[in-house]
Amino acid sequence: MGDVAVSSSGGMRPKLRPLALVLLLGLPAVLACTANLSMQLPPQKWWRALVEPDTADIAELLVFYSLAPRLAVSLLAGAALGLSGALLQQVLRNPIASPTTLGVEAGANLALGATLIFAPVLIGFGREWVALGGGLLAILLVLLLSRRSGFAPLVVILAGMVTGLACASLAALLTLFNSHYLAGLFLWGAGSLSQQDWSVAAELAPRIAVAGIAAVLLLRPLTLLGLEDSAARSLGLSLRLFRFAALAVAVALSAFVVASVGSFGFIGLAAPVLARLSGARRLGSRLVAAALLGAALLCLTDQMVMLLSSSYEMMLPTGAVTAMLGAPLLLWMVPRLNLPPHSVSGLISPAMNMIRPAPLLAGLAVLLLVVSAISATVGPGVKGWGAALPGDLLWSLRFPRILAAIAGGTLLAVAGGILQRMTGNPMASPEVLGVSAGAAGGLMVALFLFDLSARTGQVLATTAGASLALVVILALARASKGAPERVILAGIAIGALLDSLVSILMASGDPRAMRLFNWMTGSTYGVDTASAIGSIVAAALVLAALPMVARWLEILPLGDASARALGISSLLSRSLLLALAALATALATLLVGPLSFVGLVAPPLARLAGLRRALPELVGAALLGSAIMVGADFIGRTIAFPWQLPAGLVASAIGAPVFLWLLTRRQTP
Amino acid sequence: MRGSLHSRRALMLGGLAAGVLARPFSAAAVTAGSRPRIAAMDFGLAETLIEMGLPPIAVPDPNTWADWVVEPPLPADIVNLGTDREPNLELLAALKPDLIVTTPFLDDITPLLERFAPTRTFSVYAPPPGPIYARSVAATRELAGAVGMESAGEDLISRAQTVMDEVREHLAAAGLGGRSLLIVQFLDTRHVRVYGRGSLFGDVLERCGLTNGWPRASNYWGFNTVGIEELSVSPASGIAYLEPIAPDTLDRLAASPLWNRLPAVESGRIYRLPAALMFGMLPAAMRFARQISLVLGGAPSNG
Repeated sequence: MGDVAVSSSGGMRPKLRPLALVLLLGLPAVLACTANLSMQLPPQKWWRALVEPDTADIAELLVFYSLAPRLAVSLLAGAALGLSGALLQQVLRNPIASPTTLGVEAGANLALGATLIFAPVLIGFGREWVALGGGLLAILLVLLLSRRSGFAPLVVILAGMVTGLACASLAALLTLFNSHYLAGLFLWGAGSLSQQDWSVAAELAPRIAVAGIAAVLLLRPLTLLGLEDSAARSLGLSLRLFRFAALAVAVALSAFVVASVGSFGFIGLAAPVLARLSGARRLGSRLVAAALLGAALLCLTDQMVMLLSSSYEMMLPTGAVTAMLGAPLLLWMVPRLNLPPHSVSGLISPAMNMIRPAPLLAGLAVLLLVVSAISATVGPGVKGWGAALPGDLLWSLRFPRILAAIAGGTLLAVAGGILQRMTGNPMASPEVLGVSAGAAGGLMVALFLFDLSARTGQVLATTAGASLALVVILALARASKGAPERVILAGIAIGALLDSLVSILMASGDPRAMRLFNWMTGSTYGVDTASAIGSIVAAALVLAALPMVARWLEILPLGDASARALGISSLLSRSLLLALAALATALATLLVGPLSFVGLVAPPLARLAGLRRALPELVGAALLGSAIMVGADFIGRTIAFPWQLPAGLVASAIGAPVFLWLLTRRQTP
Repeated sequence: MRGSLHSRRALMLGGLAAGVLARPFSAAAVTAGSRPRIAAMDFGLAETLIEMGLPPIAVPDPNTWADWVVEPPLPADIVNLGTDREPNLELLAALKPDLIVTTPFLDDITPLLERFAPTRTFSVYAPPPGPIYARSVAATRELAGAVGMESAGEDLISRAQTVMDEVREHLAAAGLGGRSLLIVQFLDTRHVRVYGRGSLFGDVLERCGLTNGWPRASNYWGFNTVGIEELSVSPASGIAYLEPIAPDTLDRLAASPLWNRLPAVESGRIYRLPAALMFGMLPAAMRFARQISLVLGGAPSNG
């Protein structure tokens, strides 16, 4: 286990007593609830409606069977998530652990979705067991992945967030293939609290009570788990057993909530964090405070959502709203966490010597050509697999896709390479730093606020979004010097924010949302020859600009002082490089969506291959990135013929495991 | 949710065969010769083509036809184009259809489709919300003109009108005229889509002499997504829900007092309808009207 004690979050000073904070959040919740109640029923009837509703009066029935149980469920679910998060934070000794940041919610949700579609019979055994299984699988995967880092907190969270993202994109794929006829699955994932009776409350209450009792029983061993391992062991504790028991309780709590009402991102993070902020020091009081604060938070959010929905007559899933509120919280917390740095090796391969770049680059170019030729020539058709020759109609259909994949792969790899060199962070990349998400956000604004369907407008909007995200992230990076994982965590939080926005748009039923969603999966479908050639030209221009900036990329990692000594204006060079990375990301995101991970994996692979100097590394990364994207496009086009998997999603299926592998590599024990 | 139906598909197909036999054969009007080979990007257009006696050669995702459309049956040799938003272009190129028919929902990819065959767009479900049945009639006429089968089109339109009239008479004779109904589809155990004014089903209700009980304005597909508790804003005396429905939904509802206190549920006027394409055209309207007549009036109205 790592060497991080929970109390090490010394950057956060106690400011409020826990109870005061509960009241502070509870009061507006009560007000909003009162407003919602009075819309249904005059105040003098409230008591009767809550105690013995007149069965002939539909308004009283609504209060008794819809409003009241909804209130109860929001309190119960919030408490369960708060408690779950507090337990996870204690067991893992990790102040930002939570059902959301560990991928538990997304895993449970994916398990439910997949079961509904592929094995509906299993649902008969109870949704909660399916959800529990998914949640446990997700957290076990995360722990397995972060084992080699000694469960370093940030590594655990990174593994968790990426596992969560992967689960979410698989769930997205399920939605994508279920056409616009099916919205239930999606609604569910977004977490809606609407109730028709007390059954959900009645099933949640005993489950949460049992889990709560288990938590109380685990209190003493859990307190000791906060100590150093050796100290705990000397007290005669079976660490492993108690850890697993506490993890199981925490996962069960959030799986119950997901099974009954869906996922409510970040409640399980915010509540325990607030509990600690409010000065709850002892474990027992922290667990209680986290449960109470979780209840208050979810209740407040839900009552506000109800007020909003009744004013606009639209369905707003509460879960998507909590996710939207939670991501900024995570952003705010990241620089304030006081954790010992954990060095991620990335890919500074120890044994490999410098090799001559020219033959290697030529080899990579040949690889790209071969992959492209295969992709252009072969494919399944009506009568099985066949080959198409240049000049065929098929060839002309595949060619633009291949060009787009090459352009997207090149641009992302270059952007990733620049960012990795500039930040000195081997895991930086447009996808991980939220730059792609920023670009996607820009496109969202262009589509929904300005109705921009012209390509130039979209390029401008995505570039603006990417630049904005990049500036925010770099400001954060400056604030948290020497902790690359924090910056990445912040970037992933930006990505989560984007996801929740898309969820809300999707729930509105606007067909543009479906378009956005389709595009976000990174499809090269429908790229026409003109725009494919346009993007290849753009990629070539970016490549052509590299020799001019290569020197900066060699020198900037050495530090500002060395840069100045060599006569380089740090500000100017950094700004230009940033602009180049943002532009490249924006162009690539338009082509292959925000989630490909190519910008992340291509540059380290190039370094692994032995390319060390800036220019050869970037060119090699571009060739590799292109080959990965072309390969992903080919796989997506052929593997489920006639269905087509989006190239971006396929690439992320390759990229996410590589990312997790990079993450768990550790040079020194 | 959809997958839950595969087990029931055999059952549905059994019912379907009976339905086909019961209907008068009407596709004889088509002359032999060079029949255009059509790729239909939308199930509504595909069912219309089939009813006119000119089945398409390819549609997106035909495997879900039995879940959402059921009748008329798809030809057995139909080609699967993949998803509707990204139909497989290589397949289209290989199939070389004479005509591609599509809807405004897929406007984004129309320029792509046009590379493979003349492409016509038929607008039924598009903003602003409007009279879907009337739009379906107009689109059917247009479609019939586009494939040179004007008389088959007129025949379909008048057959649909006949079904509406017969159902209306049948329901009126049973004393059910003017009855107010909610048409819903369960998304999960807590949420429904309600088909309101400006939906195909809503229009059919009115043409059959019934009243659509949903008071709110719908989107241009003709539905609202709401929590089940919100159904109480409607005074409707009956609720008809459409298959498909997830396996645990009915049990959960049976235990829900709020559901049980809805006027429609209290009086036992809950009707289960076999699937009919909610975003369909005249064939779906006919199927829906027949099913309504069957479950409400207790006897088949037609054939």
